[in-house]
Amino acid sequence: MAKRQTTLPATADECVDARGTARKPYRGVLDAVTSDRRGLATIAQATQAWFVDRGVTFGVPAGGSAPIFPFDPIPRVLSPSEWRTIHRAISQRAMALDHFVSDCYGAQRALRNGVVPARLVYSSTGYLRDLVGVGPPRSTWCHVAGIDVVRVDGSFRVLEDNVRVPSGVAYALEARLALESLAPRWFETSAVRRIDDYTKRLRDILQRIAPRPWEAEIVVLTPGPYNAAYYEHKMLAEKMGATLVEGRELIVSEDEVYRLDGEGEVHRVDVIYSRVTCEWLDPLVFQRDSLLGAPGIIEAWRRGYVAIANAPGTGVADDKAIYPYVPAMIRYYLGEEPLFDNVPTYDLSDPVQLAHVVANLAGMVLKPVDASGGYGIHFGRLMGGAERPEFVETIRAAPRQWLAQEEVELSRAVCLRADGELDARAVDLRPFVLLDERPWIFPGGLTRVAANSEELVVNSSQGGGSKDTWVLSR
Amino acid sequence: MGTESLTFAVTHRTTLRYSADVSLSYNEVRLRPRDRGLQRTLNFSLVTTPGAVPRSRVDYFGNYVHRVDVAVPHRELNLLVDVVMENGEPRRRRLPEWPAGALAEDSRLEYALPSPRVPLQESTRLLWREWNGEDRSFDAVLATTQRIPAEFKYVRGATTVESSIDDLLAGGAGVCQDFTHLFLALLRGAGWPARYVSGYLGPLGVETVFDGQSHAWVEVCGADGRWVGLDPTQGKYAGAEHLRLAVGRDYGDVAPHHGLFYGKARGLPPEVSVHITKMSHQQVLVVERGSAMHWQQEQQQQGASAGRPRSASTRPSA
Repeated sequence: MAKRQTTLPATADECVDARGTARKPYRGVLDAVTSDRRGLATIAQATQAWFVDRGVTFGVPAGGSAPIFPFDPIPRVLSPSEWRTIHRAISQRAMALDHFVSDCYGAQRALRNGVVPARLVYSSTGYLRDLVGVGPPRSTWCHVAGIDVVRVDGSFRVLEDNVRVPSGVAYALEARLALESLAPRWFETSAVRRIDDYTKRLRDILQRIAPRPWEAEIVVLTPGPYNAAYYEHKMLAEKMGATLVEGRELIVSEDEVYRLDGEGEVHRVDVIYSRVTCEWLDPLVFQRDSLLGAPGIIEAWRRGYVAIANAPGTGVADDKAIYPYVPAMIRYYLGEEPLFDNVPTYDLSDPVQLAHVVANLAGMVLKPVDASGGYGIHFGRLMGGAERPEFVETIRAAPRQWLAQEEVELSRAVCLRADGELDARAVDLRPFVLLDERPWIFPGGLTRVAANSEELVVNSSQGGGSKDTWVLSR
Repeated sequence: MGTESLTFAVTHRTTLRYSADVSLSYNEVRLRPRDRGLQRTLNFSLVTTPGAVPRSRVDYFGNYVHRVDVAVPHRELNLLVDVVMENGEPRRRRLPEWPAGALAEDSRLEYALPSPRVPLQESTRLLWREWNGEDRSFDAVLATTQRIPAEFKYVRGATTVESSIDDLLAGGAGVCQDFTHLFLALLRGAGWPARYVSGYLGPLGVETVFDGQSHAWVEVCGADGRWVGLDPTQGKYAGAEHLRLAVGRDYGDVAPHHGLFYGKARGLPPEVSVHITKMSHQQVLVVERGSAMHWQQEQQQQGASAGRPRSASTRPSA
């Protein structure tokens, strides 16, 4: 079989070892992938068509339709032990973040004890003063968390925590559906764990926080079709048997939230799974000009007549300036050592750290603290001679607005290029944690890949794509 | 000044107008004073037209907030507040400075940080240095209190409710809100936690009726945790005539009203009038007796309702 001679890209360290042969968890599937290159091309085409057919889009519609979420057919594979490690570390992280949010709106012990600088919380746009003193049902704030994990020099690290409105789970679920129906034979090569009960678990959590759990009316609140993740909002609503609504379909009366349907009927709403950033949820309390929520929602929530997931206020833990202090939070709230380190990160509102960053700008990545999706990221390495002093001025003028991380080289996985060749591209992994009393994580998550082998950012908003993520049971 | 307290009756009318009928409006109102220090509220009422039942809560800064939802079509919403307050002359305390780093893990740090309407910028830092050099002591704070009204002119209409500190610095004139924001920036820049106080300025003469205005001043916090009121419009300590309504980081936290409505209408500029009367002892007695009578009525009503279960027991038993 001449086709077996296909060599794997040597830089794809996720998949191959130093000798250039497939690592153990990848052996089965890479064998199947490389032994039948024509089959691979067919599967690639078929998956593309599948995503088009089902309207799986990410991004803002331009000229009528939103772009299809780019998908690479070759799966990302994690061994049982790799997954155990990730699972434990991510659970730990999500619990600590939830404790932190709860603390910020409660006694603020971590601030009194100097674990997290009070100045960062008090100056965070995610710290919503109107919520201090409120306790959400079942004392959970971050019902859904998406923690971005990367592998650097062989060890896992956390790149970012998303506890506000983490998106991407629908793309992970779709990726699996597509591959299962279009490449069923690949699944025969490995023992892949199932992921299809995510939406059921999410629904269970939402039902449990409802003021009337026995007849919970659940809605998924979306900013609308112009939101990049609209497809996901629609899909989750469908799978959960919930109603997809926009803010203008909700109305608050006497602190109860109602949904207006097309026929002029009103239905009381018990739970809002909100994909609207909470600062936009209630124009009476926060952003005065917001049309994405409905006035009065926050007071309804405060009084317990409606449950909201994630709870309003979680943005304080999502603020990138807080991220450097997450390992300290883990030690403080849980009394445990953090299982995954952060990528080395610098808090620029501290003059000492700022000086270090300025001196080592070439090795730094600078991110605006309140942006997501990979927008506004600057690489020190790519800045020209004249650009650097200019940029230093920018961060000196507003150090609270920026976060600096050392530039790290992400591990790479084998991907299929448009011309049919294989290459190695940077990947990360966003597992989704559902938090009730204990965290639950579906095996896998969303693996994002950079748009090409040169690109360093994997964000979907920056043209990156995704892969199906396999967690093996043995 | 003695420690004798003064009593004021305030009538605060707000009329919100819309260019056309609105079907539903939600309003948040901060018009009920909270008792703090020597200030005590003897009587408070909030009546709205069209009628609504205001519901109250206490916000992050300790202010009362009333939610007023009006669900009938209306083109005008009247909020009528009647309040009787008693206030004493606060001690003119001197505050100890904060040692370096002492604020870092203190909740009052929040009041030393910039806030939406009080950015900490070079212009105000330079102004402090020009006036006080490197001196950041409480003496410098007091000197600044006096310096502001000496350097800036109080001119009604020179600025608007949305004006910034830069507008005051550029124009050289403003009203109490502008002076207060500027003073906050100066204090915070010098490391003093300071908050915005909104309220009324009562007349000091006997039984004067005052066609009053809302007023604003500053409270600054010392390392002993005590807050002292300083009025940068009058250049002095806040006195018994300074009647506090709400506190916050800046005007944005204490705005007396904000609301939203459903309907194809524009909000028109609201009309506000404030009347403040300093009450004589006799008038105060009437207020107090009034509340005593009210209390008696309540007692009687409770007695009556306590009788109800008994009447139920007159049913013939099975």
